[in-house]
Amino acid sequence: MPVNSPPVPQSPLMLDALATPELAIDECPRRARTQLDLLLLAIEALDLGGSEAMLAACRELALDGLVRGRVHLWLLRSTNPMRRYSQRRPMPLNEAKALVVIIANLARRLTVVIRQLLLGYQQLTDKQLSLDHHFRLADYLTRFRSHFRARMNPRRAGVIAYSTDEKLNELAIQLLEQLLLCSGVLGAERLWSSLFDGEVS
Amino acid sequence: MTIQRQYTLPHCNLVLQGLSANEHDPMSPLAVLMNVECHLPGATDATLTGGREFLNSLVAAVSRYGQQLLSGVIRPLSTPAAVPPMVDLKPGEGRYHHLIVQQQPVDQPVTDTDALPPLDIKLTTVQFYDLMEAVDQLLADTQTLPDLTAQFQAVPRRLVKPAEPMTKRAAPAAIGAAALAAAGLALFFVPPPVFEPSRPEQQTESSDGTDPLAGDGADNLANGDNRTDPDAAEAAVDRLEAAPAITDTDIIAVLRQDLANRLQEAWAQDPLPTEPLTYRMVVSEDGDILGYKYENEAALGAVDTTPLPQLTFLPVDANQPVQEAVAQFIATFTPEGTVVVEPAGRRNGAATSTNSEANSETAPGRLPTLGAQINDGDRIRTLNSTLYSSILDNLAPLSANEPLSFRVRLDRDGTVVGYEPTNAAAVLLAEETPLPGLVARANSDSEQADFLVVFTETGVLQVSPWDGWPQ
Repeated sequence: MPVNSPPVPQSPLMLDALATPELAIDECPRRARTQLDLLLLAIEALDLGGSEAMLAACRELALDGLVRGRVHLWLLRSTNPMRRYSQRRPMPLNEAKALVVIIANLARRLTVVIRQLLLGYQQLTDKQLSLDHHFRLADYLTRFRSHFRARMNPRRAGVIAYSTDEKLNELAIQLLEQLLLCSGVLGAERLWSSLFDGEVS
Repeated sequence: MTIQRQYTLPHCNLVLQGLSANEHDPMSPLAVLMNVECHLPGATDATLTGGREFLNSLVAAVSRYGQQLLSGVIRPLSTPAAVPPMVDLKPGEGRYHHLIVQQQPVDQPVTDTDALPPLDIKLTTVQFYDLMEAVDQLLADTQTLPDLTAQFQAVPRRLVKPAEPMTKRAAPAAIGAAALAAAGLALFFVPPPVFEPSRPEQQTESSDGTDPLAGDGADNLANGDNRTDPDAAEAAVDRLEAAPAITDTDIIAVLRQDLANRLQEAWAQDPLPTEPLTYRMVVSEDGDILGYKYENEAALGAVDTTPLPQLTFLPVDANQPVQEAVAQFIATFTPEGTVVVEPAGRRNGAATSTNSEANSETAPGRLPTLGAQINDGDRIRTLNSTLYSSILDNLAPLSANEPLSFRVRLDRDGTVVGYEPTNAAAVLLAEETPLPGLVARANSDSEQADFLVVFTETGVLQVSPWDGWPQ
């Protein structure tokens, strides 16, 4: 039988587990875009080779049809409205699903580190000690702060809220907890569903 | 056959006991769930136990709270709040979480005396994660309880409570309404202002005595008898004599058009003159008519039929010489009812001819077009610096409040051949600059070059070649 058109590209099977939410428009809401980028930022602060690991995970999970290389990943992350060079373009749901799967995958690999840091954080705050006593934690927080300040637009109201070191540390710890929560067996589904809390009709 | 399924994590141990559906298959799912045990080592020594209801409540609470931590959006309880759920999770201070378990099943009859208080277990985030992961592994496991699966549903928009309570959101509107009411109440006691229309004639009447509505000549005509006061006429002559002329042809054209429009508009044409009425008019750069003078006999008699007395600008101090630049026009009111305005050269007037003569001694008019031009770049640079230093040597502080710019012409030896002011302020204040003293008439046959000299209002001297720096 002659074929007149190329076969319709199939979306990877693993994305089927993530149900498409009932949104008013077919693109990611603002909070979801911000949250995805911040989680990726936390992964970068946690793992020095984080940005390479994202691309590698993308290839391993056969998602490179959706996230096509470094520049496309950057473009997707730049849909975060807090970004200094924010792109005013929508993030399609399929690309967002791919990012969710990548985040859950990387978080699973980093589980041990994340647990260590969170335990250390809990111990230090219980004893009311400064966070500098835990070297890895201090390292993570410093890296997160510098990444955040280098990439976010300091004139946005959402970014002004994180103007002090303490506020940024709090955000970094919160992201760490969220990374832990999406590292489990149902992590990707949990993260995906949480992105649309308060957005579905 | 009784089988046991266990989900073990560092801080949580979830054990399910029940009867298997198929005795011979060790992997068969649980047909009947008999007992659930949940150990939380590190958090509590107590063992949480219960049946299917406890498990369902645990799964629902953990799932709900996990999503709440991920999104930060508070999820409303699915059951009405009257019946407290068997298992609940609440955020605690710091980064702790509280697992609250009702130890007695609600549906069993209990008396108040033996009702145990609910168990409150403080969990760290890592401990909560282990509990959630145990639950998730159970949910994902299709071989234990296949009917228990993960149901993730995002919170609909209408169920989300706004971040700020209603009272806080209503506060700005309430304050606005209260302020409006207060302002209304305050203004109620203020009497309404009484409007008294002012009479337009008032101005001309009050200024009769001091008004120097004079042209640049001798007579002061505008207000008839009062106008023949010789002192006032003298003052007016003095005022306008010192005034510099507007040289910019563009400004003159605009002023002329504006003047013609205004005169035509204000002229009542009642009665129309029998012969043309011609006046010489002096107009400032802003378009104000500073003075006028008749040019023919008919104009002298019929001045009150023209709008000139009304339109003339009345200065505050008549004795002060006019400093602003002025232009002169000849305005003719024709018997046909039109007003013709034409620019008048200054030299036509008797009073101004002396003025222009005085100017011509010190201020050269326009420079002639450049004959032989110096093209040597090095020579131009040398001349530029020579000119700069010679002006700077003689420079005294200027009274200008805007830049004065001049075009200065030098010959090959660096002698100043002539200069020409290029803006209105420069015309006025040329005498204050060292330029007049520098002019030495040389033979104009040799090659020459023009330079732009600017005295800025801050006292900075700028000298540059007129045609730009040579390449």
